[in-house]
Amino acid sequence: MRHHIEYILLLSVFLILQIIWFNHIRLFGYYTPIVFIYPLLILPLLKNESLNLLLAFFTGLFLDTISNTGGIFAATAVFITYVRKIYFMIFKNPAQKLDYIQIANIAITQKILYFSIFVLMAQIMIYALDAFNIGLLILKWKIIIINTLISIFFIVFFDLIFFNPAKK
Amino acid sequence: MIKLLKYLASKQNFLVFVFLELIALILIIKTNNYTQLKTHNYQTEIAGSINKITNIINQYFYLKTYNDSLLKQNANLLNQLQNRQQNANNIPPTLPGQYQYIPAYVISNQYDLQHNTLLIDKGESSGVKPETGVITTNGIVGIVQKTSLHYAKVISILNKNLKINVALKNTNYSGFLQWTGKGTNRFEVIDLPVNAPIKKGDTIITGGMSGIFPKGIPIGKIFGYRLVPGKKSYVIFIKSFSDMTNLGPVYVIKNRLKTEIDSLKL
Repeated sequence: MRHHIEYILLLSVFLILQIIWFNHIRLFGYYTPIVFIYPLLILPLLKNESLNLLLAFFTGLFLDTISNTGGIFAATAVFITYVRKIYFMIFKNPAQKLDYIQIANIAITQKILYFSIFVLMAQIMIYALDAFNIGLLILKWKIIIINTLISIFFIVFFDLIFFNPAKK
Repeated sequence: MIKLLKYLASKQNFLVFVFLELIALILIIKTNNYTQLKTHNYQTEIAGSINKITNIINQYFYLKTYNDSLLKQNANLLNQLQNRQQNANNIPPTLPGQYQYIPAYVISNQYDLQHNTLLIDKGESSGVKPETGVITTNGIVGIVQKTSLHYAKVISILNKNLKINVALKNTNYSGFLQWTGKGTNRFEVIDLPVNAPIKKGDTIITGGMSGIFPKGIPIGKIFGYRLVPGKKSYVIFIKSFSDMTNLGPVYVIKNRLKTEIDSLKL
């Protein structure tokens, strides 16, 4: 539970960052990094999974309220929080048990791959739920890719701050 | 029964996941529906308060742009005053005082989705009502969708659900403006009659038939058009004058006679 209070605090910080700063950056006038998912990506995998999903839902819902987007961010946050375990089932070392995987401790290259896949997934889902139309989603591919790259940059940057390998 | 409960307990996480996703999807569908306008005032109020604080911080970075915009607006008003004095004996195009302009600031602006909205810092307490137009010095911004006491939510022209009555400048041929979804300044005008004298570079203005915007507000220039086969109308592609990615001061246009006009349309 103590860990979850820490995660709630981290989520609050990232939500404030997203709303006050990242939503207004508009890099090159058009691109908005999405960093609020970072704390969701480092939540424990199987411990208190229902609580993790509720945290993700309310994080997304709060952002939806601010952005007038209904439940787009809530749906995205819950989805990526749930499917993380499927990613680790596929990519983990066969000898390793899913319960013992600590995201903070995985190698940086694996972490970048993990962040990249989930940030891309989140971006596609946000634009897909907004458009509700595959044709329109395809038109947005450039924005999705650039938003993803910028978001990955910031998320890796934050990860290095919070889990700097040099500190270990 | 106990077996069923045990089975459900073993799938607890999956059930929570499905339940939360369903709630989120219901929220999305409800928000996308144009008919669900009149609820969630509290949501607008909370969003407005937080976005206003954010905007206060951001306004400092755009002070110069806002100043330029206000100077331009002042110049336009001075020009209009001069023209009005010179043409004092002519009949004005609309009834005096029919349109009231309420200045406001955009405190939150979306432009990267398909159904974009924005928030302004004026609401019912300033006389802003749903179905009133919002413009800048460079063109139209959108239509007020719902209001709370101090804020209003505006459907941006960058919203695929919105259609606005427009006309070809210096003619009475009219059609409907809608966003293509392909860029923040690319729009198309549909249902323009086939006998309208269209050429590239012509200006599209507001049509004034809906009573939301007065006739004659410039929207953009034509850069292409095509005939709709079998429909006897044109689809015109235009590039808008206004930059929807950089909005600050705006004006809400309140038509004092809209209720009267609407009652006759019924």
